[in-house]
Amino acid sequence: MVDSLLSARGLNKQFRSGNEPVPVLRGLSLDLERGQSLALTGRSGSGKSTLLNILCGLEKPDSGGVQVLGETFDARSTEAESKSERRWGTLRRQQIGVVFQEANLMPALSLLDNVRFRARLAGQSEDGCQDWLERLGIGELADRYPDQVSGGQRQRAALAMVFAMKPALILADEPTGSLDRHTAEAVIGQLFELQARQGCGLILATHDPELAARCSQHLDLGHVPQS
Amino acid sequence: MTLLAALFSHYRRHPLQLLALAAMIVLATMLWTGVHHLTSQARASLDQSESAVAERQQIARQDGKPLTVEDFVELRRAGLCVMPWWEVPSRQGGRVVGIDPLAAGCFESPDSEEAPWQGELDGRPFIDISEAAKLAGKNEGGLTLLISDPHIDGALPEGYRLAPFRVGPDTGELGDSFLLNLDALGVLVLLITALLVRSVYLLGMAQRRDSFALLHRFGVPQARINRLLVVEILLLALLCIVPGIWLGRWLATGLGSGFGRALEGLFDQPLYAGQGGNWLVPLATMLTVVLVACLADFLRPWARAFAGSSRRSGGLVVLVLIAGLALSAWVTDLLWLFIAVALVFVAAGILAPRLIAWLADWRSGHDRNLQARWRHREVSVLARRLALPLVALQFAMAMVLPVQALVTTFESTFDRWLAQRLEADYYIEVPESADATLAVDWLAEQPELAASGLWHRVIRGRATLPGNGDEAGTEVDVFAIGPVGPLVTDWQLLESASRPWQRLQQGQGVMVNEQLARRQNVQVGQSLEVTLGSGSFEFPVLATYPDYGRPAGEILIHPSVLPEDFATGFQSLSVSPGNLDVEEVTGGLKRVWQVDELTVRDNRAIEELATAIFDQTFLLTRAMTTLTLILAAIALLMMGWVFFSTRAWYFRLLVVWGLSVRQASAQLIRLSVSLTAAITLLALPLGIWLTWVLVHRINPIAFGWSLPMAVYPRFWLELGVLSLLIGLSIGLLMMRQLKSPTVAPVNANALAGGER
Repeated sequence: MVDSLLSARGLNKQFRSGNEPVPVLRGLSLDLERGQSLALTGRSGSGKSTLLNILCGLEKPDSGGVQVLGETFDARSTEAESKSERRWGTLRRQQIGVVFQEANLMPALSLLDNVRFRARLAGQSEDGCQDWLERLGIGELADRYPDQVSGGQRQRAALAMVFAMKPALILADEPTGSLDRHTAEAVIGQLFELQARQGCGLILATHDPELAARCSQHLDLGHVPQS
Repeated sequence: MTLLAALFSHYRRHPLQLLALAAMIVLATMLWTGVHHLTSQARASLDQSESAVAERQQIARQDGKPLTVEDFVELRRAGLCVMPWWEVPSRQGGRVVGIDPLAAGCFESPDSEEAPWQGELDGRPFIDISEAAKLAGKNEGGLTLLISDPHIDGALPEGYRLAPFRVGPDTGELGDSFLLNLDALGVLVLLITALLVRSVYLLGMAQRRDSFALLHRFGVPQARINRLLVVEILLLALLCIVPGIWLGRWLATGLGSGFGRALEGLFDQPLYAGQGGNWLVPLATMLTVVLVACLADFLRPWARAFAGSSRRSGGLVVLVLIAGLALSAWVTDLLWLFIAVALVFVAAGILAPRLIAWLADWRSGHDRNLQARWRHREVSVLARRLALPLVALQFAMAMVLPVQALVTTFESTFDRWLAQRLEADYYIEVPESADATLAVDWLAEQPELAASGLWHRVIRGRATLPGNGDEAGTEVDVFAIGPVGPLVTDWQLLESASRPWQRLQQGQGVMVNEQLARRQNVQVGQSLEVTLGSGSFEFPVLATYPDYGRPAGEILIHPSVLPEDFATGFQSLSVSPGNLDVEEVTGGLKRVWQVDELTVRDNRAIEELATAIFDQTFLLTRAMTTLTLILAAIALLMMGWVFFSTRAWYFRLLVVWGLSVRQASAQLIRLSVSLTAAITLLALPLGIWLTWVLVHRINPIAFGWSLPMAVYPRFWLELGVLSLLIGLSIGLLMMRQLKSPTVAPVNANALAGGER
């Protein structure tokens, strides 16, 4: 577990629907090495997004622990919440890039400013930001605002933001879920290409079996034995 | 599931939104009904008093001199049916009116069994004119000749003219101005409430837009959806307006008793009608306001056609602003002045959110810090999306500022003025039958009084300032004081020549009140021609002095200057007995005048009563404006909260990108505070301008006097603190949403990249 990029052990999480408890994750464990990619699949409501949120500290598991990039987080820890939140914040700001299905951009900033904003937060130089947009084929749209470009172009801009921060780990929650097949293939191709080039880890939540097959590991939350 | 049920399902899912809209309609109705109820009660009360002093026509001499019996004879010989009306002091105290029953026959109407003056009017009984002549003694002044036919102007003998005649104080001009001010406050409150209702309604509509689009796709005609929306808002309005009206009347009644006393204090007669008034006007008005406010979108194509492009409409609005500002500086008519104020407010309301958005965009383009650029852009979006509640808050603040400033200035000015006017401890009425000079001699002979006390004699009456050419002369009050001593020499003067009080004491001139100086354009140092009794005099004007509370012009003069035939209205003595007991003074005066009773008023008690009455008025004014401000603040808070909720996702992104919730919250608070601070900054110049309009334009036109123009930075600070609190509250409410992991983009707009 020490050398891995990310390791999760015994994650449990349940929500409530009215008075009824709805278990989502039951004792789930996983490992990811640098340069590896992991596909998370499963029906809607199986806990893919919840797991991604836990793996980047946006949600707390009911029990279990996560070790990511040398930082250890345990649900039973007595560490003050503000302190663990600060550690998670530093990780997300500098090393973990998150891509959602939509609305990854600040609507009030241009595409280029969004990328520069994200790079700046990560402590990276803003110089290469235009290049990232160029590499993703949307360089000429740099000064446009998110509502002035298509959904595919927005997702490319979201990828540019993530790569501009030079992350060690990318968490992508159905990043092409709202795109047409052609655009989705182009976007996902670029995601894998850049991930391979930067040697970072990738965890991808998807409904698409073909996409899942392109990842080096596959975890089906609908079938994975969760003790 | 019917179409109406499907449409209404939004509110079933979001009951708080429905509650907010309902609460806004109830509160807006309450506020406006409160102001309206007070105004209509005041109007009814004034009408009541106006009808009691119904105007007739009298005959006056063109040279301004008082009428005599010879005038009566001449007019009767000319075939005019005139009736003498002679007000004289009664032996029992008070005044009686002498009339000629024979001449009164002219006034008998075939439709009325009673002549309109019969019975007792304003506490004055009528007597035969011969009795009045006995009571008047040598004093012939005060004779009025009423004419039965008001359309006889052309047939009047040379040297005479028609003039209005009224019994009792002239409340018309002051009352109308007062009501116009209240109406203006009501209109402003109505405008603010309309903005608030519209802003809350539009918020719900924005969230329902997807549902409407879906229904449209299902084949439901747009017109049918619109009709159902009208029905929906009509039902809601009816349900909410009725309790709102009830609450408004309750509020008005609670504040009204003090208001009534304040009116009595202002007009010196009972004027407040109390309960009554109908429900129909507030119901119809608020129903119209709610419907227009909520359904104004149906008028949008028409408005677009009228205003054209945004740039063109912007230019039009600037023109409206300039026109309003220019009108407010030039016009001399109250109605036009209020129209000018409305123009400026409308233009300022349209321009303010645009200006904030433009400035924020400009700063965003020039700031190198990306986080700051993002924040400026967000402020720009917020300014456009929250335009309506922001403008409502701006108007409320701009209204509160001058009201607070005026009330505070008036409080201090009025207190000082009242204290100066009531400097003496006691006010003693000179009985009608008594010779005041005896009292003056007696008072002057009292060594104790000379050593430690102060006193002066006051004579009140009327004088005439000559008119220009064919214009009739202007009647003014005469306020004669002597000896001129420390009881008056501390009065604050607005403008004066050198040694004004010494020269007044020596009868070398007169002082004029502010009303007279303004209306007749009388300057200190100029010569003023005055008709006193039968004589015409010229006096240099020594000073102008403030005289609040009534519109009449007045000259302050030394009694020694008054001619023998000056018609004394009434006389009094103002006395501070010093080491003497007041009983010793009144005892001495009773002996001198040989009367058993004297009317003595304790000026301190009067001062206390007057202060209490005005305090109540100030309380009422402050309460109404503060309520408006609170309502506007609540609306912005509510809107800000709901709107921020729709944008919570983007703040959540900051957390996703590694900012702590605390840091993201700080950004959020900076945003909301920037917005409220910006609107407060824009409300300040509007408020200061409105203060200027009230002080330098409306008050002089309406009341004849003007308060000193004072601005109170403390109020600015208070408004600043209030805006800070509203901004903080929005931020704090939103922090809860930031902590929730389930925040998601909530509408189609957000999915498309969100508004920028």
